[in-house]
Amino acid sequence: MTVILTAAFLLAFWFVAREISADLREPWFEPTDPASVVRRFENAAVILALGFFFGSFVLAFFAVFGAVAAVNGETEQGTLLSVLSRPIRRWQWYLGRWIGFVVSGVVYAAALFAALLFVAAWHTGIAYDPIVVLKAFVLFASVVPLLVSVTMLGSCKWSAMSNGIVMTMLYGIGMLGGMIERILGFGLDESQSRPALRTIAGLMSLAMPADGIQRRMLAELLSVFEVRDLVGGLDHRLGPLGVGQVPSDAFLAYAALYGLSALLAGIAVFRHKDL
Amino acid sequence: MSVAAVETVRLSKDYGDGRGCRDVTLRVERGEAFGLLGPNGAGKSTFVKMLVGLIRPTGGRASLFGFPAGSLEARRRIGYLPELFRFPEWLTGEEVLRYHARLCGLEGDRARSRIERLLEEVGIGRRGRDRIRHYSKGMQQRLGLACAMLGDPDLLILDEPASALDPVGRHEVRQILRRLSGQGKTIFLNSHLLEDVEWLCDRVALLHRGEIVAEGALAEMLREKKRRYLRVAGFSSFLLDWLQEESGVSVRIAVDRPSPDGESVWLEAEAENDERIGRLHYLIVEHGMTLYESVPVSERLDEWFLKIVSGTRTPG
Repeated sequence: MTVILTAAFLLAFWFVAREISADLREPWFEPTDPASVVRRFENAAVILALGFFFGSFVLAFFAVFGAVAAVNGETEQGTLLSVLSRPIRRWQWYLGRWIGFVVSGVVYAAALFAALLFVAAWHTGIAYDPIVVLKAFVLFASVVPLLVSVTMLGSCKWSAMSNGIVMTMLYGIGMLGGMIERILGFGLDESQSRPALRTIAGLMSLAMPADGIQRRMLAELLSVFEVRDLVGGLDHRLGPLGVGQVPSDAFLAYAALYGLSALLAGIAVFRHKDL
Repeated sequence: MSVAAVETVRLSKDYGDGRGCRDVTLRVERGEAFGLLGPNGAGKSTFVKMLVGLIRPTGGRASLFGFPAGSLEARRRIGYLPELFRFPEWLTGEEVLRYHARLCGLEGDRARSRIERLLEEVGIGRRGRDRIRHYSKGMQQRLGLACAMLGDPDLLILDEPASALDPVGRHEVRQILRRLSGQGKTIFLNSHLLEDVEWLCDRVALLHRGEIVAEGALAEMLREKKRRYLRVAGFSSFLLDWLQEESGVSVRIAVDRPSPDGESVWLEAEAENDERIGRLHYLIVEHGMTLYESVPVSERLDEWFLKIVSGTRTPG
């Protein structure tokens, strides 16, 4: 069902991308003209921003709802008791499940990432730098272990349904923070910088850093820093789908620590949990 | 004293709302078949889960073969069948057993042959290749039993092993457990099916409201007083009072027990000890009656259970 629905999404996205890049197929379009190269890049940026905006949702929900019933859900169903009576340590079981969820999520992320890049390249003729693509993919896929760690920790405390609701709300908080940062990142001069709003948005991003990672991914993929002089106002054109304030390396380090802490906390909680 | 298969000392789990179990002290020797009885909510499953390491006690201690309950060493020696369990529906029976075999450290040909044998033994056979979603509850129960037996454990802890089985299945499970007991395996049985406990177990304990209220050899538990049926010829009902007075034994005519020849009658006698029974025999013969049979009677386990739980009988 996941494969079918993903294919449906990509099919719809194909036609959307086709329409966005319609001007590239006009007879007057000169593909080798420098202005046309910029035009192709801009179209590709819009297609990729749109694709990864929804793709990030899809990947996040794949990671969350795969792991949402990992502990309490399986305990309620009765599939866990006979397994944990075997001579294995609880952390081994927990880590094994974590690895399983993460591997399946990363494989899905790879397929989705490749498909989105393929659609954009097909319609715009854009070429990708392998190093840039690799960096962007690592960032895109790193959301999976982060979300799986937090979700599995939640599954030690809540039922599958409650955990799903909590994780959806938490992801939404992070996404809202990211959206505010995007909006604040363009169209406002210094007098409208709204420090209180930036602080709130920042705290929301810290509460769930997944969206921040995705914005950094997009910034890397679109080479935002490198092309800012060539493609002026790119982020404006992307609007709320853009990058806004690019999350820093320190933010990425925080996100890594966040995910690792959630994993270790989950192992600790599970070791002492009554089943 | 040899190391016991199961030993608990004041083992407790307090949930703060009256549930759980308190100060449970038990000892189950190696090779014994032990039955844990109790009404719903008595704390039996809580106690069993503490032995297996799924629940942490709030007091006391427990050990299996000298190793702390829940430790890796203890869990290497046990096979556990939970009361409420399920297997992933997309797996086949064989796949479930292969997975559990790896968790037990069984691999390769050893695992393969053991799995094949167990599937036959529990009555699943070739249906081991079908997915669990196509199994009845009874078949899942059989698979659970096979899973528990997979690592050839020294101690089998079975929580309601025969639930969901039809009478044929229950008979087969009893046979399997009896055979395992004969091989020297220790069996710890938690069951509502009192006839299974009565049939298999050497010793029992009764858990009621979280505490052990009775424990001991089954035969002794069921025989609080000496009861006997006596088939007597030449008896007259006028003699009842006299017999009771002279012997000190409670005697009544067993109207629910028909006489095989139409001339003798069955008497039911209940006495404190064998001496009084002997005196009763003497008086019957001395008075010119003929004593054809004197048969000892054991109380049924369910009668004993209900009496203790309802408080109408003092635990033996």
